[in-house]
Amino acid sequence: MNETETALWWARVRAAGPQRVTSGDAFPAGMLRLVEPDVTAVWLLPAVPEGAGPGVTEELGLPLLAVEQPNDTARVLAACLRCCWVEPTGPMWPGAPASRDAVASVFTKITNRDEIASHRAMIAAIRRLAAAGWVLWDEPGQTVRLGPRVAAWGSADSSALRELWRLLPPATGAPSSDTGRS
Amino acid sequence: MSDTNRAHPVFEPILAEVSEQHRDELLAAFAAVENSSHPVPEVQLLALRDATLRRNLQRLLHRVGRTLVAVGGTHWTSGYRDDVAAELTVSGWNALPVIDRAVLVLVLIHSVAIPRSQGVLGGDSWTSAQPTPADELLRYAQIQKGDVRAALQRLRARGLVQPAPTRGRGAGNGPAYLPGPQLHRLTPPARRALQEELILAAAPDSPLAAAIRARRAHPRGEQ
Repeated sequence: MNETETALWWARVRAAGPQRVTSGDAFPAGMLRLVEPDVTAVWLLPAVPEGAGPGVTEELGLPLLAVEQPNDTARVLAACLRCCWVEPTGPMWPGAPASRDAVASVFTKITNRDEIASHRAMIAAIRRLAAAGWVLWDEPGQTVRLGPRVAAWGSADSSALRELWRLLPPATGAPSSDTGRS
Repeated sequence: MSDTNRAHPVFEPILAEVSEQHRDELLAAFAAVENSSHPVPEVQLLALRDATLRRNLQRLLHRVGRTLVAVGGTHWTSGYRDDVAAELTVSGWNALPVIDRAVLVLVLIHSVAIPRSQGVLGGDSWTSAQPTPADELLRYAQIQKGDVRAALQRLRARGLVQPAPTRGRGAGNGPAYLPGPQLHRLTPPARRALQEELILAAAPDSPLAAAIRARRAHPRGEQ
């Protein structure tokens, strides 16, 4: 792939989010290749050098685009992480699918809200997260998986998230061996 | 999970030419213009102030399909390279649904095109402080009002429209919108193309529209 094609791929992902391509395709320089569990497809995710990520923008005190309902969106992402990152000593991607009810049970435990309000907020947040590639939402099947963007978290982020995982309650009905494993 | 310590195949050819300190400055400026929701003041970052470093930043952005855009003489942001934007559009990579585009165009007509034609708004920017009342967007809509509201919500999430401040608009007025900060990312040719498309759509029989068509048919002398 030449420089023009590489630049075009980076721009495509900027415009439309992480892209799913067939695993045999040539892939653009500087991107992470995240192989789907069935190995027939890969997600392309741009990886910028350390010091060029969105976190730097925040350190500089510059404004970022505001997320709608930031608190609920973050809590739902945390609940998805708790359910889909089955083995937190290992990598997050690809993780395992989790049912909407499993995610809802974690979200309800951490928000302590009535079920109807909680459900509405959760679905809205899942849709927002899915639109941005943080989760993959199978609406007909009502299951959630972690999205390709989670692979952009560096090792420091992953350790912090591993701690968060341990603090969060497990999904109702999840095997108890799931909790507190280190 | 991302292996950021290895030499980056896209960034390294440029970064290898500069000192360690300038390398950090370049990366910080890259992060700032690519991720900040608003244009970045050049006083804040050396790689935006210094012409040589800024040229290197431009080369970095070029390699990922982007370019630097100057805003108001003292601020910078980034946008798609014009050749890349053209290619993305031709091959259908426009991420906005048709309804969102329609609502955005209405906001641009009310907040920018009309005030500009009245001489209230100068320059070629597509940002403005002239609010477009939500009623104005809903009144003539041939689609469901709920769909317009949903489109406004999506456009707001993308920074393409923003709620107008309520101060000075008087009590009892409904919500109103302004073009969002992401419109600063349009390059000068993209700003001009948008203006021309609006003229072609709004007044196809005008002499101005004829001139635009003629220039597009014979692009000699352009660039």
